[in-house]
Amino acid sequence: MELTANAFGRNARKALLDKTLQEALGRTTGRFLAHRDAAAAAFPEFEATRERASRIKRDVLDHLDTYLARFIEEAEKRGTIVHVARDAGQAREIAARIARDEGVTLAVKSKSMAAEEVSLNEALEGAGVTVVESDLGEFIIQLAGEAPSHIIAPAVHKTREQVSRLFERHLGEPRTDSIPELVGMARRHLRAKFLSAGMGVSGGNFLVADTGSVVLVTNEGNGRMGTALPRVHLAVVGIEKVIPRMADLPTFLRLLPRSASGQTISSYVSIVTGTRRAGDPEGPERMHILLLDCGRSAILEGKYREILKCIRCAACLNTCPVYQSVGGHAYGWVYSGPIGAVLTPLLVGLPEAAALPDASTLCGACADVCPVKIPLPDFLLELRSDARDQGLKTPGEIAAMKGYAGVMKRAGLLEAIERIGGVLGQFFTKGKGIGGLPYPFSGWTERRDFPAPAAQPFRKLWKIRRGVTR
Amino acid sequence: MNEREALFRRLAAACGSHGAAAGEPPPGEAPPATEGDRVARFAEAFSAAGGFLLRGPVEAILSDLGEMLRAEGVTALFFPEDDAAAREFAMALVPFGPFTLTTGTEVRGGGAAVTAGFRTAEAAIAETGTIVETSAGGKTLLPGMIADVHVSILSAASVVARMEEALAAFGADPPRNISFLSGPSKTGDIEQTLTVGAHGPKKAIALLLPPERTE
Repeated sequence: MELTANAFGRNARKALLDKTLQEALGRTTGRFLAHRDAAAAAFPEFEATRERASRIKRDVLDHLDTYLARFIEEAEKRGTIVHVARDAGQAREIAARIARDEGVTLAVKSKSMAAEEVSLNEALEGAGVTVVESDLGEFIIQLAGEAPSHIIAPAVHKTREQVSRLFERHLGEPRTDSIPELVGMARRHLRAKFLSAGMGVSGGNFLVADTGSVVLVTNEGNGRMGTALPRVHLAVVGIEKVIPRMADLPTFLRLLPRSASGQTISSYVSIVTGTRRAGDPEGPERMHILLLDCGRSAILEGKYREILKCIRCAACLNTCPVYQSVGGHAYGWVYSGPIGAVLTPLLVGLPEAAALPDASTLCGACADVCPVKIPLPDFLLELRSDARDQGLKTPGEIAAMKGYAGVMKRAGLLEAIERIGGVLGQFFTKGKGIGGLPYPFSGWTERRDFPAPAAQPFRKLWKIRRGVTR
Repeated sequence: MNEREALFRRLAAACGSHGAAAGEPPPGEAPPATEGDRVARFAEAFSAAGGFLLRGPVEAILSDLGEMLRAEGVTALFFPEDDAAAREFAMALVPFGPFTLTTGTEVRGGGAAVTAGFRTAEAAIAETGTIVETSAGGKTLLPGMIADVHVSILSAASVVARMEEALAAFGADPPRNISFLSGPSKTGDIEQTLTVGAHGPKKAIALLLPPERTE
């Protein structure tokens, strides 16, 4: 998909002015987060499970060559055809070739961020395939011609009225404001596609090395149907999704649904291993797995290795104050929220996305909820310093940061500045905070109001509290 | 050098493990609490996932099930050809409603009838309220996949405590498809309002057979 990560500021402004989006974001992120917190609290072993998952993933990344080789060997033993793509262009070529060789004209696709990453649909359409998104949210935004705005709720920014309009225009359905009726319309329309598609395209939540299996976690059941009914199955998966053993799967299944939506488990978990066997009434005759490098091996080599532990649960999005305010589209690529702010620069190159690591308050909430304990705030900070080292920061910004650091190290100086700020602040304060500072501070106040400085410096308040007065 | 070799060369350089054996699995986390009756815990988790569990004498199960299927507007029942228990239940249910018998093939062909698909569950998991179905031995997965209502036939003996036990049963060579089914098909994609019956069954029902009826 098109990359506009460096336009974060402009994208964010647009999002903040979008009333519908703002309402949807408030409703969704809050709900997901509350459910997630309740699920974690109701599961006493949550912390131990996080620790174990983190260690398993770290082991995988330390020995990815070993585990991936084992996965490929076991998958091929069971009839799976494994392809490897170095970059997005190559992934598209391979997918197009598979579609042509298999003679596919209609494909049903379940949700896959990896497929979004390489613009897979475009490649398949170029090979003469009609690709129908089968996840309800993806189906809705496909009709609207938009990109997903949330890892697990792609159409979070659409109202039922907008959905009904889309179904009227594209499916010839009557207008309704009943959500169950809308779901029923999509079900009928997509059921016909499932039953006639030649190929099912999916992502993969986990690849099991010791059995060569692909694991799909869904609530709707589309992933299940797309990988069992069509003649061909194509799974597009990043190389980092490997887990060592089938016996490790429960650990991750205890974390993913809880972190994503607060469910103990999703409605469906499908573990598919190889092709249809003799006497099987369903299952694909041909199974292809397209493994994506697309920048992952380069990440593996450096200090950001642990970002590859991510299991794409979206808990960090839901808990992030920045994501809550601007939504997914503002991040200008496939991955949004804190994971996107780190992963996008690493996958597409820091110069192409240097604005993203700045799109964070470093509050640390993402690290608190991450089920595999990725140190996201540390990475955000590290990327900012990389950006400076690579000459991606303006001299003004560097000078300002140096000055800030100098002040913060000297308590007396800080207090003096706080006093001056307390006086000057009154001139710029309007309503809740400071709205329009002159350059060079305008960067802070352009897109948000800055809280007004307190009339009394903190140290002075502290002394008064403790009964020490000058 | 082909693309795969190139990838592994990059990975070896990045990992620095040069094909060294990978580490041992870390110690297991504390297992989810397993005290209490497995079947009772399954019942609780299954209903939390949105499923309906029917138990008791077979006559009572049949009449309750008949009522539930009529309420869903079901008109056709189907079951795998080689599944004796599913066949028996479906046949016994015909007098309880305006139900006709059909086949999975017919339903897959895109018939318009509202259907209930019957199938014997290979196992169930108490921890998560999950019905386990697999393709082992050439069994069909259609009843839990394309029916409007999914009816699982379950014996108390096949309920295991945790996911680990369910997976361990398959050993090193799992069947082509292992499906964990926990409640009905759901979506929250429109206005984050939970709605059942997105693509799969709108209702998930499990019949728990009394012990004397299980082999």
